[in-house]
Amino acid sequence: MSSSVADAAPERAPSGAPPAPRALSRTLLSLVRREFWEHRALWVAPAVVAALMVLGALFASVKYRAPHADLSGDQGPWNGMTLFAVMQGFVSSPLSLVTGIVLLFYLLDCLYAERKDRSILFFKSLPVSDGLTVLSKLLVALVIAPLGVYALGLLASLALTGIWQVNAVLGRLPAIPGWDLGGWLQAELALLLCLVVAALWYAPCAAYLLVVSAWARRNPFLWLLLPPVVAQILERVAFGTHYIASFIAYRLFGVWPILFSHVRLGHGRAFALGSGLAQLDLKAVLTDVDLWLGLAAAAGFVFAAIRLRRYRDDT
Amino acid sequence: MSAVIEARGLTKSYGATRALDGVSFTVEPGRIVGLIGPNGAGKTTALKAILGLTAFGGELSVLGLDPRTQRDELMREVCFIADVAVLPRWLRVRQALDFVDGVHPRFDRARATEILSRTDIPMASRVRELSKGMVTQLHLALVMAIDAPLLVLDEPTLGLDLLYRRKFYDTLLNDYFDRDRTILLTTHQVEEVENLFTDVIFINHGRVVLAASIEDLGNRYQQLTSAGDQATRARALHPFYEREVFGRVAMLFEGRSAAELGALGELRTPSIADLFVAKMQGSPNT
Repeated sequence: MSSSVADAAPERAPSGAPPAPRALSRTLLSLVRREFWEHRALWVAPAVVAALMVLGALFASVKYRAPHADLSGDQGPWNGMTLFAVMQGFVSSPLSLVTGIVLLFYLLDCLYAERKDRSILFFKSLPVSDGLTVLSKLLVALVIAPLGVYALGLLASLALTGIWQVNAVLGRLPAIPGWDLGGWLQAELALLLCLVVAALWYAPCAAYLLVVSAWARRNPFLWLLLPPVVAQILERVAFGTHYIASFIAYRLFGVWPILFSHVRLGHGRAFALGSGLAQLDLKAVLTDVDLWLGLAAAAGFVFAAIRLRRYRDDT
Repeated sequence: MSAVIEARGLTKSYGATRALDGVSFTVEPGRIVGLIGPNGAGKTTALKAILGLTAFGGELSVLGLDPRTQRDELMREVCFIADVAVLPRWLRVRQALDFVDGVHPRFDRARATEILSRTDIPMASRVRELSKGMVTQLHLALVMAIDAPLLVLDEPTLGLDLLYRRKFYDTLLNDYFDRDRTILLTTHQVEEVENLFTDVIFINHGRVVLAASIEDLGNRYQQLTSAGDQATRARALHPFYEREVFGRVAMLFEGRSAAELGALGELRTPSIADLFVAKMQGSPNT
C-alpha cells in the first residue's frame, strides 16, 4: 500500500490483486461529509437561529432589567435546573422548527439535485453502492442532523445561562437558584429519548421524501404536495369524509400524544421537569403497532429509493 | 489474457428507437479503443451499458463482471468520465480529493495533487468558479490518480477549445496510458484523435459498422486517387465509396491488393476520418 504512493516510476503495475475496499466507516464518513458540503443549510440555518437567539438575549439583557422577578412556578420555587430547562426549551423550539423545515427540503432535494445537474454520473463512477448512498442521507436526516442541533441547543442554552449569570452578578436579574444535577441530567436524557422517538416515528416520512426525490423528473416539491391535496379534495367531494387528512396529520404528529400521555397540563399542573424521564411513556410508544407499521413502510420506501437511484436512467 | 470487454448482441430501445440493435464487439487489454459514430448512433448507450448505468438486453462481460448485477465491484476496477460537466458545482477542489480518497481504494491522493499542481486550479475553488477546461483537467486529475485497469471516456473534450483538447489527450497518453491499461473513448471528432487509437469501432444506428485494429485497417482498406480512364477501370473493381476531389476521384476499396490497384493511380491507406465518412454514408438507413 505505502509503496504505491511513493512510487513515482512510470512503470507502475496497476490492477494486480484488487485492493481491499475502503472500510465501511470511512466510506460512510465521506458520504456524510459530502451531504454537509452540498446542503450547507443543514448546519448554517440552525447555527444562524441559535446565534440570533443568543444575540437577542444579550440585547434584551442590556435593555431590560428585572432584579426582583418572581422565580417560582406552579410546583414551588425554581431551581437552576428548571431555569436551564426553560432556556433550553426556549432555544429548542425554534431550532427544531427550522431544522424540520431544512430537513424536509434536504430530503426532497438530495436525490433529485444530483440527477438535475447530472453529478450523479460522477458519484456513480465511484465504488459506492446505491444502498449506502441512500442510507447515508437517511442517517444524516434522522440521526446526525438532530444530534447536531441538540448539541447546538445545549451550547446556546449554556450561553443564555452565562448571560443570566453575568446579569445576576451585576444585579440586573435575580441570582440563579441552586443546581440539581441529577434532575438536569434526567431532563437532558428525556430530550435525547424524544430524539430517538422522533427518528423512529418520522422514518417513514423521511424515506417517503427520498422516494419522491429519487422519482420526480422535475419539481419534487410539487410531487410531494399535489397528490395528497388532490386526493383530499376528491375524498371530500366524493364521500364528504376527511380520512386522508387525518391520516397525514396522525403520521406527522401522532406519536407525541402517546409519548406524553402521562402529562396533564393546565389546572395547576405543570410539566415536572425534575422527573423528565418518568414523564415519558416510552413503553406505550415502543409497543404502538403504528410505529412498527411505519418502520416497515420506511423499509419499503428505502428499498424503492435505492432501486430508483440504481435503475432510473434520465441523465 | 482474456478480453477486457466482451459484448454479444447488446440491445436497448427507447420507445420506438433502437439505440442498440444487436451490438457485438471485443476489447482486448492494453488497447486504446475509439468508439466512433455520429450523434445519436448509440455510443453513449453502449458506454452506459458497459458501466451498468442502464438496463439492456444481450450478453456483456466487463473485466469478467456483469455490469447489471455486479456494478459495485465493477466500479472498483473501472474509471469513467461520462461528460465534461458532471462534477458537482458546489464541490471544492480539496473536497473532491477528500471525497474520492475516502471512498476509492485505488485512489492515490499524492498523485492527484501532483497532477493538479501542474495546472492553474486553486485547491480552495469550487467547481462552479472554474472554467470548463479546468473542470475537465480536475476530473482527469482525479481519474488519472485512480489505478484502474479500464478507463472509459465519453466525449471528454466536448465543448473545449483546441488547446485544452490537445493537452487533455497528451496528458492521457504520456502520463496515464501503459500496456496494462485499457482506454475506451467515444468521440464524434474523429479527425482530431485518430493518431491516438490502436483500435476503432464504428457504430451507427445502433449497429457496429466496422471493428478493427489500426494495423488491420491498413491491410484491409486502400484509398485510390485517380482520374479519367484509370478511374473507370478502378470503378470496375467495386469501390464501396467514392468522391470527387479537384477533378480527380478518390475511391475506397476493401480487401484489394496493392498490386491490383497500384497501376490505377495514387494509393494510400485511408485516414480514419475518410473511412468513417465512407462507412457512415454506406451503412443502412441513411
